[in-house]
Amino acid sequence: MLLSALIVLPILGAVGVGFLPLNGGQVKTAALTLASVLFGLTLVLMVQFDPAIAGLQFVENLPWLSELGLDYRLGVDGLSLPLVVLNGLLTLVAIYITEPTVTRPKFYYSLIFLLNSGVVGAFLAHNLLLFFLFYELELIPLYLLISIWGGAKRGYAGTKFLIYTSISGILVLAGFLGLTWLSGSSSFDYNPALSQGLPIGPQLFLLAAIVVGFGIKIPLFPFHTWLPDAHVEASTPISVLLAGVLLKLGTYGLLRFGLGLFPEAWMVAAPWFASWAVVSVLFGALAAIAQTDMKKMVAYSSIGHMGFVLLAAAAATPVSMVGAMFQMVAHGLISGLLFVLVGLVYKKTGTRDITVLRGLLNPERGLPIVGSLMVLAVMASAGMPGMVGFISEFLIFRGSFAAYPLQTLLCLVGTGLTAVYFLLLVNNTFFGRLPSQFSDLPMVTWAERSPGLVLAVLIVVFGLSPGWMSRWTEVTTIALVRDFPIVKHQIFLQEAPKDTPALPS
Amino acid sequence: MYQFLLETSWLIPVYGLVGALLSLPWATGLIRDRGQRLAAYLNIFMTLVALVHGTLVFTQVWQQPAYQLILPWFHVADFSLTFNVNLDSVSVGAMELITGLSLLAQIYGLGYLEKEISLARFYGLMGFFEAAMGGLVISDSLFLTYGLLEMLTLSTYLLVGFWYAQPLVVNAARDAFLTKRVGDILLLMGVVALSVYADGLNFETIGQWTQTAELTPPVAAALGLALIAGPTGKCAQFPLNLWLDEAMEGPNPASILRNSVVVGCGAYVLIKLQPIIVMSSIAQDVLILLGTLTAIGASLVSLAQIDIKRAMSHSTSAYLGLVFIAVGMQWTDFALLLLLSHAIAKALIFMSVGSIILTTLSQDVTELGGLARKMPMTTLAYITGSAGLVGVLPMAAYWAMLDGMSKFWIDAPWAVAVILLVNGLTAISLVRVFRLVFLGDATPKTKRSPEVPWQMAVPMGVLVGATAALPFVLLKLDLLPVTGEINFTAAALLTTSGVVGITIGSLIQLNHVWLRPIQAPLRFVQDLLAYDFYVDKFYMVTVVWAVRSLSTFTSWFDRYVVDGAVNLVGFASLFSGESLKYSASGKSQAYMLTILLGVGFIGLFLSWSKLILPGI
Repeated sequence: MLLSALIVLPILGAVGVGFLPLNGGQVKTAALTLASVLFGLTLVLMVQFDPAIAGLQFVENLPWLSELGLDYRLGVDGLSLPLVVLNGLLTLVAIYITEPTVTRPKFYYSLIFLLNSGVVGAFLAHNLLLFFLFYELELIPLYLLISIWGGAKRGYAGTKFLIYTSISGILVLAGFLGLTWLSGSSSFDYNPALSQGLPIGPQLFLLAAIVVGFGIKIPLFPFHTWLPDAHVEASTPISVLLAGVLLKLGTYGLLRFGLGLFPEAWMVAAPWFASWAVVSVLFGALAAIAQTDMKKMVAYSSIGHMGFVLLAAAAATPVSMVGAMFQMVAHGLISGLLFVLVGLVYKKTGTRDITVLRGLLNPERGLPIVGSLMVLAVMASAGMPGMVGFISEFLIFRGSFAAYPLQTLLCLVGTGLTAVYFLLLVNNTFFGRLPSQFSDLPMVTWAERSPGLVLAVLIVVFGLSPGWMSRWTEVTTIALVRDFPIVKHQIFLQEAPKDTPALPS
Repeated sequence: MYQFLLETSWLIPVYGLVGALLSLPWATGLIRDRGQRLAAYLNIFMTLVALVHGTLVFTQVWQQPAYQLILPWFHVADFSLTFNVNLDSVSVGAMELITGLSLLAQIYGLGYLEKEISLARFYGLMGFFEAAMGGLVISDSLFLTYGLLEMLTLSTYLLVGFWYAQPLVVNAARDAFLTKRVGDILLLMGVVALSVYADGLNFETIGQWTQTAELTPPVAAALGLALIAGPTGKCAQFPLNLWLDEAMEGPNPASILRNSVVVGCGAYVLIKLQPIIVMSSIAQDVLILLGTLTAIGASLVSLAQIDIKRAMSHSTSAYLGLVFIAVGMQWTDFALLLLLSHAIAKALIFMSVGSIILTTLSQDVTELGGLARKMPMTTLAYITGSAGLVGVLPMAAYWAMLDGMSKFWIDAPWAVAVILLVNGLTAISLVRVFRLVFLGDATPKTKRSPEVPWQMAVPMGVLVGATAALPFVLLKLDLLPVTGEINFTAAALLTTSGVVGITIGSLIQLNHVWLRPIQAPLRFVQDLLAYDFYVDKFYMVTVVWAVRSLSTFTSWFDRYVVDGAVNLVGFASLFSGESLKYSASGKSQAYMLTILLGVGFIGLFLSWSKLILPGI
C-alpha cells in the first residue's frame, strides 16, 4: 500500500490544499508538512527496500480495465527507487524555497502536489498504459505552473513545452501500442519478452518512436529547444523540479522502455545512440559557453549532462548502467542546487545576466556563502573528484570506453568544456569588485541558504562514499543488461583512440 | 605503538583536511566576534600533528620494504576501486617534505598576512592544499592520485583567486584552473583507458600489466601522451606553462608551496607513470622534448622579467623541465634528487621574495634597490636559496646536476649541454635580481625597509639551515657519489657554467628603469622574452578563438536553425489555419459535396486492387 500512498496522498493533498479554508501562510505550512511526510514515506520505502533483489518489490496489482489491457500495476526496483526518493526531496525543496508571497498559493501548491503524484506514478507504474497516463498527467500541472507563475514570455515557453512534450507522449504511446499489438499480447503489462517474437525491422521502428519520444523529454539535440525557454521563464522552484526530476522521466523511460523492452533492437541501434550522445553533449556544452543568462547556461549544461546517460545506455555494460543511474541522481542534486543558487542571486540582485553581475563574493555586502556554494556546485557539475558528479561520469566513461572509445573520449571533451562555461560564470559574477549598484543587497538568511546547504552536503557525501548510493540500484541495473554481451576490449586495442585537441586556457 | 602509527598513516594527509574543516566556522562568518587567528593556529597545530606522525612513520619505513595499506572504497559490478597507500622511504620522505614546508609556510603566513581580513579562509585552503599533496605522494592508486591532482587544481584556483576583487587575480585564477584542467582532462582520458586495458588502477596492477601489454604503437603513443598531459599542466611545462607565472598574483605563502612542492607533485606522478609512458617511444620523445623546450625557454624568459615573483616562477618551470628530461630518460634518482634540492631552495627564495614584497609593497625589480643593508635575514635567505639552486658551490642542486650529467654523459651529451645551459642562465637570472634588489642605492620604495617580523624570519632561518645542511644529510644517507665515482670533467664543466653565469650576471649593465633597447633586433628579443614568447597571444588566436567561435556558432545555430525550424512549423500551422478559414463559405451543400467526393475517393482507393484484380 506504500506505493499507492505515494501516489494518492499528494492528490488528496492537492485537493486539501486547494479547498480547505486556509490563509496564505497556513497554506505553505500545510504544503511543507505534507511534502515532508511524502519525503519521509519515500525514506521509509528506501529502508524497507531490499537492495539484493533485482526484480520488482512492493508489487500492487489491481485489475482495472482489463479488456483494454490497462491494469493498475505498481512496483519499485533499483531503477525507480532513487528517482522516487529524489522526487520527494526536490519537491520538498521546491515548496520550501517558494516565496511566501506567491500569488494564488492554493492553486500553486495543489499543482505541485499533482505534479509530484504524476511523477511518482510514472516511476512506479509497471503497465505501459498506466505509465503513459501518469506521463501525461504530469504535463498539465507543469504547463500551468510555467504559464501562470512564469516570467515575461511564459505563454510562449509554456505552450512550447506543452506541444513538445505532447508529441513526446504521442510517440511513446505509439511505440507502446505498436509493441503490444504487433506482438499479439492483450495486456499492456511491462514485459521485456514482448519484443522477442518481432522481426528486427518493426522492432527498430518502434524503438525509434520510443527513443525520440523520450529524447524530447530528456532532452537530446535537436529536440531540446523547449528546455532553455522553459527554464528561463519558469520560477525558481519550478526550474528545480523541471531539471531535477522531470528530465529524469526521459532518461528513466529510455532505460526502462527503450533498452528494457527492445534489447535486440537496442544492440543494433546502440552505435548510433553513442554518436548521438556525443553530438548532444558537445552541442549542449558549446551552446552553454555562449550564454549570458545564468539560467540558460544551466539549462544547456543539462542537455550536455543528460547526453552522458545516453552514452552509458548505448554501451549497456554493468558499470556504465550504474553510472547512468548515478548520473541521473547526481544531475538531479547538482542542477537542483544550481537553480536554487541562481534563484537566490536573482532574488537579491534582480538579474541573472553574467555580464552585469560582478563581485558577489564580497564578504560584507555581497553573497559570500551563496558564492561559495556556487563554486562547489559548478565544480561538482564540471566533474571535480570528491563530489557525486565525478564518480558518475567516471563510471560512465569507464563503462563505455571498451565499447565506444572514440565517442567516450569526445564526451570527455564535453566534461572539459563544462569547466569552461561554469568557470566563466563564477569568475564573472562572483569574482571582481562589487559594483555600487549591488552595494546594498538584501541579507541572505540561513533559512534561505539551508536548502542549498543540504543539497551541497548530499553532493559531497555521495561523492566521497558512492557505495551508499550504488547499493540501492546496482543489482537491478546490472540485471537489466545481464543478457547483453560484454564487449571484449581486446578487440578495441587495435583501434587507436584519437588524441583530442587541447582546450582553451 | 609503531604498528598502530603505520596502520593509521593514511590519517597524515587527513589532518590537514581536518584543519580546513575546523576553519569553516570562521571562514563562513559563523564566528565573527573572535579573531580569525584561532583558525590559523588550529591549522598550524594540525600540520604539526601531521609532521610528528609522519616523522614517527618515517623512522619505521626507513630502509624497510614498502609497507602497503589497502583501503577498499567502492565496488560496482566487475569494477572495484581501492585506495592503496604505499609507504616507503621515498613516499613518506616526500610527505615529510610537504608537511614541513607547509608548516613553515603557514607560520610565515602569520606574519605575511597579519592584516588579512579572511585569514581563516586562507588557512583552510592551505590545509586542504596540504592534504591533497600529502595524500598524493603516498597514494598507490592512479584513481586516487587523479582525484587528488584535481583537488590540487581546485585549491590552486581558490588560492590564486584568494584576492578575488582584483581584475588580474580573476584572470590568473581562471587561467590556472583552465590550463591545469586541460591537462587533467587529457589525463582522465588516459586513466579511463588504463582502467579498461589494465583492469585496475593500482600502480602495482598497472606495473604488472605493462610487462605483458600488447598495445599497437598508436594506442600506446596516445595513452602515453594523455598521461603526460596531466603532469605537464601541473609542472607548468610548455605548452601549459603560463598559469604558474600568472599565479604569482596570489598570496605569497601559497606561492612558496606552489613553486616548491606542488609542481613537484606533478613530477612525482609522472615518475609513477613512467613505466607506461616508456612503452611508447613517441611519448618518451615528446616528454623529453617538452622538458627541453621548457628548460631552455623558461630560463631565457626569466631573464627578461621585471616582476620578481614571475622571474622566479619561470625558473621553477625550467628546473621541472630538467626533471621531465630525467623521467623521459628513465633516470628517476636524478629526478627525485633534483626535486628535493629544488623544492627546499626555491621555497627559501620565495620566502625571501615575500619579505621584500611585504616590506616594500612592490614586486617590480626596477623599483627596488639597496635592501642588503636593511634586511639582513632576507638577504641571507636569498643568497642561501640561490646557492642551493645553482650548481656552483657543492650544495644539493650541484650534486643533483652532477649526478644527472654523469648519467647522461655517454648516452645523451645534449642533455648535459641542457643542464649546463639551464644552470648558467639561472645563475645570470639570480645574480641579476640580486644586484637590482639588494645592491645599489636605496630607491624611494626601499628607503624605509625594516626587517620582517619573527613569524617570517624564523621559517627563513630554518630553511637557511636546511638548505645548508641538505648536502650533509644526503651524504649521511649515501645519496652522494663517493669520491672515486665523481666525473671530474663534468664537475668542472658544471662549476664553470655557474661561474660564467655569475660573471655575466655581475657584468651586464643593469638600470633601475625599464629600458628599451634602440636596436630593433635586441628590442625584439627583449619583448619576445618579456612576454613569454607570446604564448598567451598564440593561445588567444588559436584555442580560445576556436572554442569561442564554435560556441558562438552553436548558439546561433541553436537559435536560428533548430529553434527557427520549430517556430517556422508553428507559424506555418497557425498561418495555414488562419488562411484556410476564409475558404469556408458556410454553405452546407458545398460541405456535403466535399465529404462525398472525399469518401468516394477513399473508397475507390481502398477497393482499387479488388476492382482491377479480376480483370487480370
